[in-house]
Amino acid sequence: MITIKVPKKPPPSLLTVLGYPFAIIFSIFAFFQIGFNLEDFKKNLSNRRLVTDTLFNPKWDWAIENATMALVETIQIAILASIIGCFIALPLSFYASRATNQTSITYYIYKSFLNFIRTIPDLFWAMLFTVAVGLGPFAGVLALIMFSMAIMGKLLSETIDSIDMGPLEAAKASGANQNQAVFTSALPQILPNFTAYFLYIFELCIRASVILGLVGAGGVGRIIETQRIFLRFDRISPIIVFILVAVIAIEQFSVWLRRKIL
Amino acid sequence: MSIPKQPINQRILKYTITIMIIIGSIWSASGLEITPERFLTAPGKIWILVSAMFPLDLSTEAIERIVPKVAESLFIAWAGTVIGAIFSFPISFIAASNVSKNSISKVTKQFLNIIRAFPELILAFVLLPVTGLGPLTGTLAVGIHSIGTLGKLSSEVIEGIDEGPLESIKSSGGSKINELLFGVVPQVMPTITSYWLYRFEINLRASAVLGIVGAGGVGAELINQLRFRDFPRAGTVLVVTILMVLIVDTISASIRRRIIKGRTIKV
Repeated sequence: MITIKVPKKPPPSLLTVLGYPFAIIFSIFAFFQIGFNLEDFKKNLSNRRLVTDTLFNPKWDWAIENATMALVETIQIAILASIIGCFIALPLSFYASRATNQTSITYYIYKSFLNFIRTIPDLFWAMLFTVAVGLGPFAGVLALIMFSMAIMGKLLSETIDSIDMGPLEAAKASGANQNQAVFTSALPQILPNFTAYFLYIFELCIRASVILGLVGAGGVGRIIETQRIFLRFDRISPIIVFILVAVIAIEQFSVWLRRKIL
Repeated sequence: MSIPKQPINQRILKYTITIMIIIGSIWSASGLEITPERFLTAPGKIWILVSAMFPLDLSTEAIERIVPKVAESLFIAWAGTVIGAIFSFPISFIAASNVSKNSISKVTKQFLNIIRAFPELILAFVLLPVTGLGPLTGTLAVGIHSIGTLGKLSSEVIEGIDEGPLESIKSSGGSKINELLFGVVPQVMPTITSYWLYRFEINLRASAVLGIVGAGGVGAELINQLRFRDFPRAGTVLVVTILMVLIVDTISASIRRRIIKGRTIKV
């Protein structure tokens, strides 16, 4: 009889041993903290009519009349903010990458600057900017600039980390200084990625700009907010449908364009 | 020496994109009545706000109010991610075109797309009258949105697997369930788990803002302090939130890296 020596199964790693129980205990604890109460839930379920009756009885005329301009404003905010944000992030990401920035002090400064911007949620930016520069779409644009700059900075600097160093070296060998080398050899390598990320960020900005109005930073959210307070879900639901259509249409467009470019 | 010319299609595409970007920004800027000087004066105004926040309000009363709210955001994000993970996992198998029927996969993907299109905040205030003011609403909103995003990402992971193991299970007499359990799950689990953690990081930011509509978490605290012009306290809210997000991000990112890289085993 042939005996096959089966290799021993390695013992579970420390991460598995500690991770699973911790995840389960923390989940139970979190659900407990959130306080799900079946009694209250049942009682509140009778309020359901308050939402559903109006939500599924949309007032199309009202929404077309009042929300179209705001929806256009939303799209404008997203376009302007994603363009400015991404183009600010383009040079920053070269400084925040090991491949193109050899000085470690400036590398850490730029890297942590981008990380810091990323920790603040988009609506927090919007709230801060509404206080700083006043209510209106300008605050929304500034908030989304920060938002898109942070995401583009992270994605792009990580892409730059993994570029082919050959062309960079070749440019330097033929006498280019650091900036010239980066401009002629690193930039062309990441431009296709930059375009793809830009389209992705534009989609994210469209989604984010919808809710900016809830804190007074312009766009269609402003109308949602005023109707929400009066529980006029019959007026909100057609707006939500418009947003859905716009978001899905823009997403399809950007998927198409991305396929064309790459 | 002649330099080869770029293909004409590429050049046309390049010019079209440049023109689109320029026209897009001009149209948007004029529609929103945003002028360059507004951008130039903005940093000064932001500086006034930031300097009003310091020194931070670090009185025990403020800390005792803010820290539980930030913790609540953390719990909302985690519980929401758990809901998203539990429900999206089976759905992603139905949505993956290589393990499920083509028509079913298409319908499921559209369903996930529709869920994904609703921002958490909109879900939150639609749920609000039913589930009440508080973290439960936030959790459900975050959870539902996560089902959409995690379902999409996970199904794409499943679509990218190596079909070899599936075939060998089938050829040795395994059922469809065996195929999924021993062929698909071991291949996709590391990536999907890291997506769960990644989603948790995103949900943390989402849950922080949910308080604006009264769905629990730290958002309500920030908007109230800003409304009452209590800037030192608003600054404290911001700093505590940033610290929490930074810590969670760092831990979660290192776990994700470890999951994807795997562990070296000495044989």
